[in-house]
Amino acid sequence: MTLVEVKGVSKRFGGLTAVSGVDLTVDAGEVHCLIGPNGAGKSTLFKLIVGLYPPTQGQILFDSVDITQQRPFARVQRGMSIKMQAPSVFRELPVRQNIQIALQGHVSGAERDREEERLLTLLNLATEGEKLAGALSHGQQQWLEIGMALALRPQLLLLDEPTAGMSPEETFRTGELIKTFNTGGMTLLVVEHDMAFVRQIAQRVTVLHLGKIFAHGSLEAILQDEKVAEIYLGKTHVHH
Amino acid sequence: MLRLLDGPQTLGKGPKFWACFLVVLVAALIYPLFADSYDVGNFAYFLLWIFMALGLSLMWGYAGMLSFGQTLFFGISGYTYGVLAIVMGGGSTTIVALVLSVCMAMLAAAILGYFMIWGGISGIFFGIVTLSATLVLAFFLGQTAGSEWHIGAARLNGFNGMQGMDPLTVGSLDIEGSVLYYFMLVLIVVVYVALRMFVNSSIGNVIVATRENPQRAEMLGYDVRKYQLLAFVIGSGLAGLSGALYTSWGQFITPSSIGLPAAAMPIVWVAFSGRSDLTATLVGSFLLLFGFQTITIYSQQAALVLMGALLLATVMVAPQGFVLGVGRLIAVRWKRWRGGGVAKTEPARLQPDEV
Amino acid sequence: MSAADLFSFFYQFADVFAFLILSASGLAIVFGMMGIINMAHGEFIMCGAYVTVGLVNLGVPLALAQILAAIAAGLIGVVVEYFIVRRFYKRPLDSLLATWGLSLIVTQSMLLIVGSSIRGIGTPEGSFAVGDYTFSTYRLVLFACAVAVLVGLYIIFMKTRFGVLARATMQNAAMAKALGARTGRIYAISFGIGAGLAGLCGALYAPTMTLIPTMGATFIVESFVTVVVGGANVLLGTAPAAIFLAMIRMALNASYGQIIGQIGMLFAVIMIIRILPEGLSSVLVRRGR
Repeated sequence: MTLVEVKGVSKRFGGLTAVSGVDLTVDAGEVHCLIGPNGAGKSTLFKLIVGLYPPTQGQILFDSVDITQQRPFARVQRGMSIKMQAPSVFRELPVRQNIQIALQGHVSGAERDREEERLLTLLNLATEGEKLAGALSHGQQQWLEIGMALALRPQLLLLDEPTAGMSPEETFRTGELIKTFNTGGMTLLVVEHDMAFVRQIAQRVTVLHLGKIFAHGSLEAILQDEKVAEIYLGKTHVHH
Repeated sequence: MLRLLDGPQTLGKGPKFWACFLVVLVAALIYPLFADSYDVGNFAYFLLWIFMALGLSLMWGYAGMLSFGQTLFFGISGYTYGVLAIVMGGGSTTIVALVLSVCMAMLAAAILGYFMIWGGISGIFFGIVTLSATLVLAFFLGQTAGSEWHIGAARLNGFNGMQGMDPLTVGSLDIEGSVLYYFMLVLIVVVYVALRMFVNSSIGNVIVATRENPQRAEMLGYDVRKYQLLAFVIGSGLAGLSGALYTSWGQFITPSSIGLPAAAMPIVWVAFSGRSDLTATLVGSFLLLFGFQTITIYSQQAALVLMGALLLATVMVAPQGFVLGVGRLIAVRWKRWRGGGVAKTEPARLQPDEV
Repeated sequence: MSAADLFSFFYQFADVFAFLILSASGLAIVFGMMGIINMAHGEFIMCGAYVTVGLVNLGVPLALAQILAAIAAGLIGVVVEYFIVRRFYKRPLDSLLATWGLSLIVTQSMLLIVGSSIRGIGTPEGSFAVGDYTFSTYRLVLFACAVAVLVGLYIIFMKTRFGVLARATMQNAAMAKALGARTGRIYAISFGIGAGLAGLCGALYAPTMTLIPTMGATFIVESFVTVVVGGANVLLGTAPAAIFLAMIRMALNASYGQIIGQIGMLFAVIMIIRILPEGLSSVLVRRGR
């Protein structure tokens, strides 16, 4: 079943076409990675799916509903959840309150407290609950934001470079975590440029180049695609 | 319920804080027994402005919207009370007039707020659009001296302002003097406690989230515009409550209560006090009103110069507010003197939790 | 419609347009360059007016007094920038409060020191007739000055070395600094120009109105709404905003009087921000690319 359908979407900023005629589908239950060199239009496409700005052309469907004109909060209410590239948390509020704000729309009372503890433990933040979120390390803030995105119990989790600024160990743990979510039935769309991380998690991959879809297919197929290696990795980096 | 009284959004909490609160409340309750009625009336006058300050603290400190329009809604409500108290015949209908006046201010806030918030106005533009609206109302009312400007028997009277409306009355009891004082005191306790519960509720959680990071709040599925509008309407409604009480207290209102420099006063009180905490705003505003009134007797201009200097000094020296800063300092000293340091169970926040 | 009617129409438009441009341009420059709103803008206008009247009473010719008044306000602006405003470039909301505090201090001190009003100097006489109508020459001088201000700003910002550096700083202050622009000095000069233009506004309107320390309030609503509608660009924002607002204002003034004109203008602004949140200049600048 198709969960997200992007149909002929373009986005122009003044004279610059950042995304041009992109078609993309994300199936329910998969981990789909969106890759491409810098300036390929990954982040723009991500922001279009999230609803941070409207596309110049085209249509975006979520769960068969046209959401092209909906604002981000309405998309979130439909079952999306979003983690942006730079850590975006409530800096002046305690970690625990950050999680509570994410949780309170869905659960309440004792269940909320339990869920709060579960998430804090899952994210390795159990001892940091009373700290201000702004006082956490960069990596911890990324975790906290992932935790807030998870608290919404989304059908679809959208992650924009979730491992930016993380150490290799943290990156690996994040990858394992993503696989756990997926096993639990969650669909994930991940924008990433770290190929090691993509190999760890991806089931299907879409390659963007110069604002257009360059290739798409299974992880194996993409890894063996010479043309992808050429534009994305540079020939010298191909090891199979 | 109790959990809401002592939540994360209010700094003063715990048994010691509420003990202090009770002491102050009892002192305020028995004050009229020891003071002459003139002083009690003056005290009631300071208290009526507190609502406007608390409303601004909610909008600015909690929701992150710097509204310069407190006197706009003060004026709308104050004039509405004046008109209604005259048109509806005064007497016990003044209570209805009070309620309707506050509703009028909230309605006006909802309309103006809708256009600004849905138009994406924030930051400094929020301030100057609200101030522009405030000044235009003041200019407009200043030009209503002619006899054609009346609603029923109520003349607007231009710069000289409206007068001759009944004060709040229940049956044969005029709410004046010490009765007015107690009325205000009860209202302040109710509003203060209600606001504490509101900011510590789940709605309050979203409101502070909106201040901290509106995009993140939106991406957690909250329509931040609705929460901002709610805070704006409540905050402006509290300014309206002050306005109607003011008109009732003095049985007059003039455009100078709306325009400059009046519009700057709530900003000075709340900035000086510490906008991010209701208790600091309550205490600080009262102190400033008291000081201002004392100096005004000698020279109003000098009092206003002092207010301007305090505003400038606040942003230069203590942008978070003087009262809040001093409160935190005292709390830190107190803890140190007790030899405690920060106990384990307490939040490791920057602020100690007693003011 | 006769030629005289047409001229009368233009005259009224020119009058409102001049008022908007002269009162808003100083505020718009400071906002465009530094992203802050100077709440003491009205007090710089008041300063220009008082210096003009003071000098004229000392026997200085009006035009010279007006120029000196604008320079005086500009110099005071540089001093204010140095001691107060420059601390707040990273905190625009606090700059609003600080300048408002300053504004309170200045107006109320003036009331304490010089009292509520001083002897005015009267509008320069001189009028001319077109058809059945008589017009004041001075009002047309004001219009000419407003146009001259726009042309002057165009030359300063588009044709001089300072203008290039200023526009670079406006686009990206950190980059301009890295490339050797002395951004601190550019900000100080920009603030000075803004204050000087406010002073000029006060100087030009001084002969036409009663001088009181609180006179700045007469100008700030117009300057605020023009900047809100215009956005961050003086030439592409403030000027078209002034044309647009002058049209609305003129139509309402003619049928309903001054105060309704002002209220109508405010309503128009509130509608516009709903439709164009970033102001007219965002549309015009985008088209211009």
